[in-house]
Amino acid sequence: MRRLEAEILVIGGGATGTGVAWDAALRGFRTVLVERRDLTHGTTGRYHGLLHSGARYVLKDPDSAVECSGENSILRRTHTHCIEDTGGFFVVTPEDEKDYPDRFAAACLRHGIPCEELSAAAALRREPLLNPGISRVFEVPDAAADSFLATHATAQAASQAGAQLLPYHELVGLQISGAEGSRAVTGATVVDAVSGEEVRIDADLVINAAGAWAGRVAALADIEVRMILGRGVMLATNTRLTNTVINRCKMPGDGDILVPIHTVSVIGTTDEQVNQPEDLRVEAWEVDLMLAEGDKLVPGLSRSRILRAWAGVRPLYQDNFSGESRDATRSTALLDHAKRDGIGGFLTITGGKWTTFRRMAESAVDAACAQLGVSRPCRTADTFVPGVEQGHYWLGHRLEEIEENRLQAELVCECELVTRSMLENAVRRNPTVTLDDLRRDVRLGMGPCQGGFCTYRAVGILHQMRAAGETGPQEPAAPPGAAEWEVDSLQSPARSENVAPARASAGPVQVPPGEAPQVSAAIDPQAAVSQPNLLLRDFLQERWKGVAPILWGQQLRQERLDELIYLSILNADHLPGQEEESPMSGFYRLNSED
Amino acid sequence: MLDLLVIGAGLTGLFAAYAAARAGLRVRVIAKGMGATHWHAGTIDLLGYLPGEQKPVADWVEAVPELPAAHPYRNLGVDAIRTAMVEFQRLVAGAGLPYESAAAGPWFAGVAGGSGEQDGRNSMLISPVGAPRPVYLAPAAQQPANLADTRPMVIVGLTGMPDFYPTLIAENLCRQGHRARGATVPLDKLTARRDNSPLQLARLFDEPAAQARLAEMVADVAAGERVGLPAVLGLHRHARTCAHLQEATGARAFFEIPTLPPSVPGLRLDTALRESLAGQGVRVETGMEACGFGTDGRRIEWVESETGSRPLRHSARNFLLATGGILGGGIHGDRCGRVREVVFDLPLTAPQARSQWLRPLFLDSRGHPVFQCGVAVDARCQPLDESGAPVYDNLWAAGAVLAHTDPIRERSREGIAIATGYAAAAAVARDVSPPPAADN
Amino acid sequence: MHTVSLHSAGMSLDACIKCNICTSYCPVSQVTERFPGPKYAAPQSERFREIGQPRSPDASVDYCSGCRVCNEVCPTGVRIAEINARARAQMVAEQGLSLRNRLLGRNELLGKAGSLAPRLANFLLHNRLARRLAAALFGVAEQAPLPRWHTEKFTRWLARTDMHRLRSDRKVVYFHGCATQHYEPFVGMATVLVLEHLGYEVIVPRQNCCGLPLLSNGEFGAAERYHRRNVERLTTYIEVGYPILGSSTSCTLTLKEEAPELLDLEGDAGVRALKLATWDIFEWLRERQEQGDLPTDLHRLNDEGKPFTLPYHAPCQLRAHRIGKPALDILAQIPELELRESHARCCGIAGTYGYKVEKYQIAMDVGAELFGFVAAQYAGLEASSSFACTACDSETCRWQLEHGTGLPSRHPIEILAAAYGLYDLQARRPRGGN
Repeated sequence: MRRLEAEILVIGGGATGTGVAWDAALRGFRTVLVERRDLTHGTTGRYHGLLHSGARYVLKDPDSAVECSGENSILRRTHTHCIEDTGGFFVVTPEDEKDYPDRFAAACLRHGIPCEELSAAAALRREPLLNPGISRVFEVPDAAADSFLATHATAQAASQAGAQLLPYHELVGLQISGAEGSRAVTGATVVDAVSGEEVRIDADLVINAAGAWAGRVAALADIEVRMILGRGVMLATNTRLTNTVINRCKMPGDGDILVPIHTVSVIGTTDEQVNQPEDLRVEAWEVDLMLAEGDKLVPGLSRSRILRAWAGVRPLYQDNFSGESRDATRSTALLDHAKRDGIGGFLTITGGKWTTFRRMAESAVDAACAQLGVSRPCRTADTFVPGVEQGHYWLGHRLEEIEENRLQAELVCECELVTRSMLENAVRRNPTVTLDDLRRDVRLGMGPCQGGFCTYRAVGILHQMRAAGETGPQEPAAPPGAAEWEVDSLQSPARSENVAPARASAGPVQVPPGEAPQVSAAIDPQAAVSQPNLLLRDFLQERWKGVAPILWGQQLRQERLDELIYLSILNADHLPGQEEESPMSGFYRLNSED
Repeated sequence: MLDLLVIGAGLTGLFAAYAAARAGLRVRVIAKGMGATHWHAGTIDLLGYLPGEQKPVADWVEAVPELPAAHPYRNLGVDAIRTAMVEFQRLVAGAGLPYESAAAGPWFAGVAGGSGEQDGRNSMLISPVGAPRPVYLAPAAQQPANLADTRPMVIVGLTGMPDFYPTLIAENLCRQGHRARGATVPLDKLTARRDNSPLQLARLFDEPAAQARLAEMVADVAAGERVGLPAVLGLHRHARTCAHLQEATGARAFFEIPTLPPSVPGLRLDTALRESLAGQGVRVETGMEACGFGTDGRRIEWVESETGSRPLRHSARNFLLATGGILGGGIHGDRCGRVREVVFDLPLTAPQARSQWLRPLFLDSRGHPVFQCGVAVDARCQPLDESGAPVYDNLWAAGAVLAHTDPIRERSREGIAIATGYAAAAAVARDVSPPPAADN
Repeated sequence: MHTVSLHSAGMSLDACIKCNICTSYCPVSQVTERFPGPKYAAPQSERFREIGQPRSPDASVDYCSGCRVCNEVCPTGVRIAEINARARAQMVAEQGLSLRNRLLGRNELLGKAGSLAPRLANFLLHNRLARRLAAALFGVAEQAPLPRWHTEKFTRWLARTDMHRLRSDRKVVYFHGCATQHYEPFVGMATVLVLEHLGYEVIVPRQNCCGLPLLSNGEFGAAERYHRRNVERLTTYIEVGYPILGSSTSCTLTLKEEAPELLDLEGDAGVRALKLATWDIFEWLRERQEQGDLPTDLHRLNDEGKPFTLPYHAPCQLRAHRIGKPALDILAQIPELELRESHARCCGIAGTYGYKVEKYQIAMDVGAELFGFVAAQYAGLEASSSFACTACDSETCRWQLEHGTGLPSRHPIEILAAAYGLYDLQARRPRGGN
C-alpha cells in the first residue's frame, strides 16, 4: 500500500474539485486530489458549455445570476483560451410570455448584467438561421466554454502550484478518528483503478467536491447529504447552427439553450430528478423534446443531423427541499460537517454551476482555512492558468493551423482535425488510460463519424508508442499521475507539433534521452489497459452509447459504415481478449441482455 | 427500349448488369454516386459467420443450409451461388484481376493444409488490426495472407501512412499463435508528405521508380519471411508492382492487407467491373438519384431520376433494384422509426419501433435488428408483398437491399451481391427471351 | 454573405459519411498537393467556418476547380463543389478580389469590348508579348487557350439573316451565352439551323452573362445582379410557356441550379420559373426524339470508305445536370459515325480556373487523362480519317481540348447540324442559303 500525506485532500476531479485543488495549492497547502476516473468524467464533461452571463437566472434566482455575472468576467481573464467569446442572445419567440422580456431587461439592469436590446432584423443578419418569427432580442455576455480544456488547464495550474492530482483513483473509505464528540475525518483510502493498488492518504482536511457523487462520499463518513440529482439531456448537431449562444427569453425551462461549442451546436436541456448519479439514460421523449424545442429557436434543427445525445447529472443541494429539481437552487452549497454533523476536518462543496466553479472553490478553501485556523487569501481570481496568452479560441483555429503544414499533419481524427502530434502530445503530457480520455483532451472521435476512422488510428498510434517505450531503457511503471500536466497546447495542432519530441523518420516515436519518464497508463506495458484490443472495444462502445439514442437518417447510415469498417474490414469483434475486463467495461454490462 | 434498367452501381448492380448484358439484354445502370465497392476490402466474403456465432464458417457449402429459411442464400440454393461465383471469376479474370479461393491458389498447393480444391472452403486472411478475416475468394495479391500458411511473417508498414499499424497487426497475430513481427520502411525518399491516404500511395506505386524502390526496401527488411504490406500496391499498374515485389522477395510470398476506406482493392474491383461493362456497351450513369416511378397495372413503366430542373424519365422493360441497404442508401430509417425503401417504397421486413432497432452493445454478435431490414423476394428475386405475391411483374431486387440478412455481421456482403445479382439478371434474361419450348 | 443555409448546399454536408469516395475521384487533388481534396475542403472544413469569423482559415479551398466530379460520385448527395464555392465567396468578401479574377469573372464585358474591334483585339491579345505581359501583370497564364473574337457577333448574324429566319407558331427561346455571342457565333448558327429544321421559330431576347464566372470567382453580389436581370428578361417568355434552350451547358446549368442554389434564391418565384423552363439543347432534343419529333434525315459525315471517328467528352458541367449524355443518344443516330465516349473526369480548364498562372499546369495535368483518351482513339487513324475532331458541349472545355490535343473541337450541335446537311463542320459555317 502506498501512503501519501496532504494538508488538504480533495475528492472529485470535476471543475469544482480541480478548482479547489488549484485554490488550495495557491494558498500554500499541500494538496492532493483524487478522481475515480479521468478529470471531467462526471458532470463537468457532460455539460453544454455555456459560460453564463447570469441573465438566464436573473429573475428566477438572482443570487446565482449575480454570482455568474462576476465569475464570467473573472474566467474570461483567468481561463481566456478555454473560452470562445460568442456573445449570447435572449430571443423572444412567438410562444413566449410577452411581459417577461421587460422584466428581464429591468432585472439585468438592476443586477448589473450587461444587456442590450437589438432589433430582430439585426439579430437575424448575424444569425440567419434563427427563427424569423422572433420579436425581440437582447444581447448579453454569454460565451462558450470548453469544460474539458478549462479543467485540465486548472489542473495544470494546480500541479504547478504543487498540488498532486491522481485521476483513476477511486475513493473507497474515509478515515475517521477521535472520540465521540470530537470526531474528525483524517484521510482516505483510494484504489488505483489501473493497478488495483490501495493508496492511503492522510490529510488534515478533506473537501468533498464529488458533485453528483457527494452524497455517496459523505455517506462514507456516516453523514447524510441528500443531493437533488437533476439529469439533463443534451444533443449535438453536426455543424454549428448559430455562432452566438441562443437562449429563450423566458423563465428557464427545457430545451431553451443552444450553445455553439467548437464545431457543433448543443441544444439543452431537460431536468429529470434521478436517484443515482450514474443514471445517464437518454429517453426517447427527451430527444423528441429537445428537437421540438430546438425548432423554436432554429426552425429545421430537428431535420439537421444529430451526432450524439448524452446526459449529465446536476449536483444540486438545498436544505429541506421538496419539489422538482428544475426548481432547486443553482446556488452554491457549502456544508461544514463540523457544524452540521459534528464531524471535523470535512467539508462538502456542491450545487452551483460550471460558471461559478472558481467561486465555489474559493468559499470551500476559505472555510478550510477557518477550520485549520489559518488566514490565507484566495489568489485564483488574479492568477492566470497556463495558456491564456493564446487569447480566446475561435472555431477556425485548428483548420488554420493545419493549413500551414497540411501535408505533414497526419490527421488521426479527420472530423475534428486531430493530428498525430496532438494525440502523442496528449498522451505524454497528461494521464491517459482510455481513448475516451484522449477524446476529452483533444476532441478525438467527437465529429460526424463518431470514431469510425480515428479509433483504429488512435489505437495503432498508442500501440506504436508503447512499442517504442519497450525498446527504450526500462523504467519502472509510473502511476498515471506521474505524467506532467502540460495541457496548454493540447488543443493546438501547431503547438503540439512544436512541443512533441522529434521523431525518427523511419519508425515509431522515440522517447528523447534524458527526459523524465512521462508514461501514461495507456502506454505502460504492464497495465492491463494497455491492451490495444480493449482500448478499441471500449471506445467503440463508448461512442455507440451516445449515438444509439439519436440513430436515424444519415447518422444511422454513418454507423453502418462504422460497422463495415470494424466488422467487415477489421473483424474487431474477433480479436484476442474480447471478453477481458477493463476500467471502462464496468460502465456497460458485457453480457447485456435486451 | 432497354430490357433492363439497373438502379445502383455497387457490386450487385454492376455485376447484374454485366450478367444481363452477356445474356444479350440491352442494359443501362443509373446510380446516385459510386457504390459501396469502394469501401470494402476487395475480397469476396461469402459467409464468414452464422448469425450469433463467434466461430467462423469453414465451408459455406456446408453452412448455407444452417442459415434461417428466409435467408437469400437459402432462397437461391448452393448451386445457384456456385454458378454466380464462377461467372464472377470469369468476369474479373477477363478484366485482368483474377479472383480465386485463397485455399486453392497455385502458390498454396504445396503448403500444409492446402487442399488444392476450391469448393466452399473459406480462408482466414489478415485484417488491418491482425484479426482473422473469413474470406471465400480473394484477388491474387491478397490470397497469400492465408493464415493456414504457418511460415513466419513480417508485416511491413510505410511511414507517412496513418492507416496501417504493422506492430499492432503482428502482436495480435502472435497472440493467436502465428509467427509475425512488424517493421516499417521509410517513404521519405518517395514522398515528402506524411499524411498519405491509401489511394495516394497506390497512385505513387503506379510509378515504376517507386515500385522498384519499394521492392528494394521490402527485400531489405524481410529476413526470409512472408511479407504483408498494406493494400496500396498500385491502382492501375498493380500487376507490375506485384511483379517487382515478387522478384525482390524471391520465392517468399508477399501479400496485401486491406485498409480503411478508400479501399484500393475495392477501387480495382470497381474499375474492372466498369471496364467490362463498357466493353459490353453498357452505360453507367452516375449522379442520377432515382426519385419516382410510374406504373401500368402491375408493371413498372418508368423510373425517374432527379436533375437540376425536371425529373428525367427512364423507360425499360424490367427494373432491378440494387440500391443497397441502409449503408448504400437504398433503405432509409427516419426519426419516427419508419424504415423505407427509397425508390419504390416496397414492403419491408423491419422492426416497427426505433426502440427495437438496436442492441446495447455495439459488437453484439447477433447484430442490430434495424440492419436486417430489407425487401423480401421470391426465388426469382422479385419483391413480394405481404401476401407473398410479386409486387410488380417486372421488378427485381438484389444485394444488400434484401431482407433476412445482415451482410456486414455475416461477412457475406460480396457473396450476397454476386449471387443475388446474378440470379436476378438470369431471371430477367429468362423472362425477356424465354428458352424455346422443347419440341417433342 | 451566402455561406449558410439550412435548405441548401450549406446543410448538405450533413449527408457526408466521410467515406472518401469524393477524394478518390477528385482530379485536382490527384495532380496537386495544393488542393487538399473535396472531403477535406468541403464537408470537413466547413464545420470550422462560420459567419463573422476573424478570417478564412483555409486558403487552399481556392484550388478547388469547381468541376463537380465530387458531387457526381458522392453516394450521399453532398453538394461539395457548392460548399467550396461559398467558402471562396467568403474569402472574397473578407479579402477582396484580385484584378485578374475580377476580369475573368466579367468575360461578358471582355467579349463586348473585343467585339467592338475584333481584329484589333485579337491582334493585341494574341501575340507573345501581350500574353507575357498579361501573365506578369495580371496572372493570366501565357499558354492558356484564350479564344479569338469573331468578326461578326452572333446577334449581328441573326439580324443580318433575319429575312431567312423561320417564323412559326412553335417557338423556343435561345440563351446563347457570351462565348457564342463573341467567340463562336457558329455554335449559335448551328443551333438556330437545327431548331428551324425541327420547325421551331427561334427567339433570341436580350440577355446577359449567366454569372457563372462570377460565381466561380466568389463574386456573389455581382452574380446575383446578373441573374436577376436575366430572370427579368426571360420571364415574359416563360410565362407564355416557351422553353429556354441553351447550347452552352455551363450557362444552362447556372440558370437551372448553380445561381439559385449558391445565391439562396430558390424561394424566388421568377428564379424558380427560369430554373424549371431551362433546357440544355440536347436534353430538349432528346425529349423531341423520344416524342418521335426529331427529323431522321441524318446523313453520314464521312467520305466514302473513310471512317469518321468522333471522341466525345461529356464535360463536367453537362454531367452536373444529371441528365445523362443526351448528345450521345442523338449523335448515335448519325450513319457511320464512330462515336467514342470519354470516361475522363475533367479536361482541367474548369471555366476560368486553367487561365490563372498558378493553376494552368494543374489544369493541363488534370486534362492529361482526356488528351490521352483522344490520342488513343486516333492512334494510326489520322491520315485515313475524313475529319479528325473532338466533340464537347462546353466552350472552354473545347478550347482546352484543342489546346491539349491539337485537334479542332466542335459542339455536338455542330455535328448534328452538319448531319442534317445544314452546316459545314470544317469551315464552321452554314451551308447553302442559310
